[in-house]
Amino acid sequence: MRRNILGKGLVCLIAAGLLFPLQIIAQDLSAREIMEELEDNRRATSNSALSRMQLSTCKFGVREGKITCAERPRVKSLESVGKGYGTDLRDTRSVAILLEPAAERGIGMLSFIYDDGARDNETWLYLSALGRVKRIASGSSDDETEPGSLFGSEFTTEDQDTGKLDEYEINLLEETVEAGREVWKIETIPNEERALKSRYSRTVLYVDKERFVELRIEMYDQYGKEIKRMLGSRVEQMNGIWVARSTTIMNLVTNRLSNMAFLEMHTGIDVPDEFLTQRTLTDAAFRETELEKLRAQIN
Amino acid sequence: MVLDDDVQFDADVDFGFDDDLFGAAFNEDSSASSASWLDDFTIKITQQFSGQINNHSVDIPSLFSFPREAELETNRLGANIRYQNAFAPGWLLQASGQIRSYWKDDYEYEAEGGKIDVEYRVNEFFLQRSFDQHSLKFGRQTVVWGETTGNSVLDIINTTEFRAFPIIDIEDARLNQWLLVWDYFGEDSNFSSFLNIYPEFNPPAVRGSPFFFEPAFNLTDYDRDSGLQFEAGTKWRKSFEGSDISFMAAYLYENQMRFEDPISGIGDAVAQVNDFFLLGFSANRAVGKLLLNFDLAYSHDVQADSFSFPGTASLANPVNLKKDQIGTSFGFEYAISNEQSISLGIQAQKLLDEDEGLLPGQSLINDGVFGSWLVRYSNTLMNSDLVISSTLQGDLNANSLLALLGVDYTVNDNWAVGGQIISITSNDASPLIFFDEDVRLAATLSYSF
Repeated sequence: MRRNILGKGLVCLIAAGLLFPLQIIAQDLSAREIMEELEDNRRATSNSALSRMQLSTCKFGVREGKITCAERPRVKSLESVGKGYGTDLRDTRSVAILLEPAAERGIGMLSFIYDDGARDNETWLYLSALGRVKRIASGSSDDETEPGSLFGSEFTTEDQDTGKLDEYEINLLEETVEAGREVWKIETIPNEERALKSRYSRTVLYVDKERFVELRIEMYDQYGKEIKRMLGSRVEQMNGIWVARSTTIMNLVTNRLSNMAFLEMHTGIDVPDEFLTQRTLTDAAFRETELEKLRAQIN
Repeated sequence: MVLDDDVQFDADVDFGFDDDLFGAAFNEDSSASSASWLDDFTIKITQQFSGQINNHSVDIPSLFSFPREAELETNRLGANIRYQNAFAPGWLLQASGQIRSYWKDDYEYEAEGGKIDVEYRVNEFFLQRSFDQHSLKFGRQTVVWGETTGNSVLDIINTTEFRAFPIIDIEDARLNQWLLVWDYFGEDSNFSSFLNIYPEFNPPAVRGSPFFFEPAFNLTDYDRDSGLQFEAGTKWRKSFEGSDISFMAAYLYENQMRFEDPISGIGDAVAQVNDFFLLGFSANRAVGKLLLNFDLAYSHDVQADSFSFPGTASLANPVNLKKDQIGTSFGFEYAISNEQSISLGIQAQKLLDEDEGLLPGQSLINDGVFGSWLVRYSNTLMNSDLVISSTLQGDLNANSLLALLGVDYTVNDNWAVGGQIISITSNDASPLIFFDEDVRLAATLSYSF
């Protein structure tokens, strides 16, 4: 039987208590060090991990001061497997497979995310109608275009990027409160080279001081206009890692939002290297067999 | 809670976020959902209408002219069924098929003498065994080579069948064949090899369809008693950062049979097949938002006189002349945004040593560089419920142009409707002259579950 993450409340409380000293230490961290801690936490959610997520996308509006969908959300459920590679496991390889809707079942996306700014991330998609694996151009070359999208949602490969911190100027703007939590307000500004590959000229992050989780991110274009906003909520410990189980990204230009709900996340999974290859996209017999082995590790 | 469509968000005004907006996802009890054998099936039922709507006449200069009247061409109800089941560790059974029922005024109904006709076809049907670094697949399946989408010079392993203009994508018309496919997944690169001991050929046009022309002699299948026919090929693929490359080699039969007049002048046409060798190379390169695709094919001993219009067979030019051919496809894909994308594909081929073997006064059907180009644009609106797409396709010599505008609307998770309008213009240097000035409308209603 699968381990229920919601049944780990006691573990969460203990872990939260253990993290209290970290909060004191954290006061002296530089903006760069905070970002490194934040990214380590991000990577931990996908390192040797098996997750099940629900991805919902809709046009949105504001009603009585609250964001809500202006239409029926399009919902997709997917399973994701990831693992860290390279120096200090700072590169990430992951594969995401759609489980629902039925018409898209089995479509998979393989991503290699590199820490080194000189290396462009890579993405491949298996398209059953074409009967082959297709490389996806995921970079962004100008401010008017979106980088590669995750299964048609507002989440893009750039939004899920980690590393490349050397290519940013990182400033601690202030210590403030967001969603009732004490946060660092940090801005990151890409250098000239990174700016050519990024849609954002400036990003402002609100990082929970105790849990190193982004509660809010604002992304700005070259004219200083906020074009995207990401909100993290339901911050809980899953397998000892603080995670915003519900992350919503809003495209303020198109008024379209996507929510990623982490339904399950299991870390410490022994993921074979062979699983994080193009074979998993094309060889359904191999994929299902290996996925069953991974799921069996949870029990 | 659903808002009016015109509600706008003001980024300068702070707002609250209702954490319960997507909270239902967390209420799901994963243990409560039980797997059913029906989960392995995906079924789509479609009713399609299409017809030529422009009353006009087609003039073949110095030959003849014939009227083209508006008429319904297809009125058919179909079901596509797909089944995939990983029934044991390392084993997979996959099958797909279709059933079509042709109603009144459908060309197949008319060809059957005014009777409702029902047709069944198995598309995929294969058993797969994967173990260690190997995968073996046996059964009806497709092998897709090449990087360029839609008109790759390397995508010639499987046969194709075009029955109606509303289906113009090669991936919709590709037929499965009985193949044994062996994939080897190495640490740095992969090999994929296939063997086909029953090569099939493009089927002749279905009687009554827009592509059907009454032949002078009955078109028959190839006489397989003359010896063992087989096809075999292998592909080596390796990925680099930002690029994938493949090399391939194959011994194949040309998918299009060539028909010769019967020696006695009466009876059936004589089907001729031609074997040839293919060497290929393909590569892609991602540059920012741009993806470049490239395919290169060198074919040894292809028929110089094969009439290549898809879905039709030739009775002309029984020259039986073999030549080498070089072909290339170049693809350019650009994602303008999450919702919009545009792609361009160009395919060009050339026979080498064109004049060699020609008798005085003879000329090749495909002289010089020949090929086609394809431009596709798609835009998804209304949270992907509405997809607007357009395709322009023509030949490199600017003798013909096919323009398509399509609209697909997803009503809900089960129901969808779609419409297409297709226009063709051509001069007499292209086989599409028979469809010059045709305008076709098509509508589909589908239910998926």
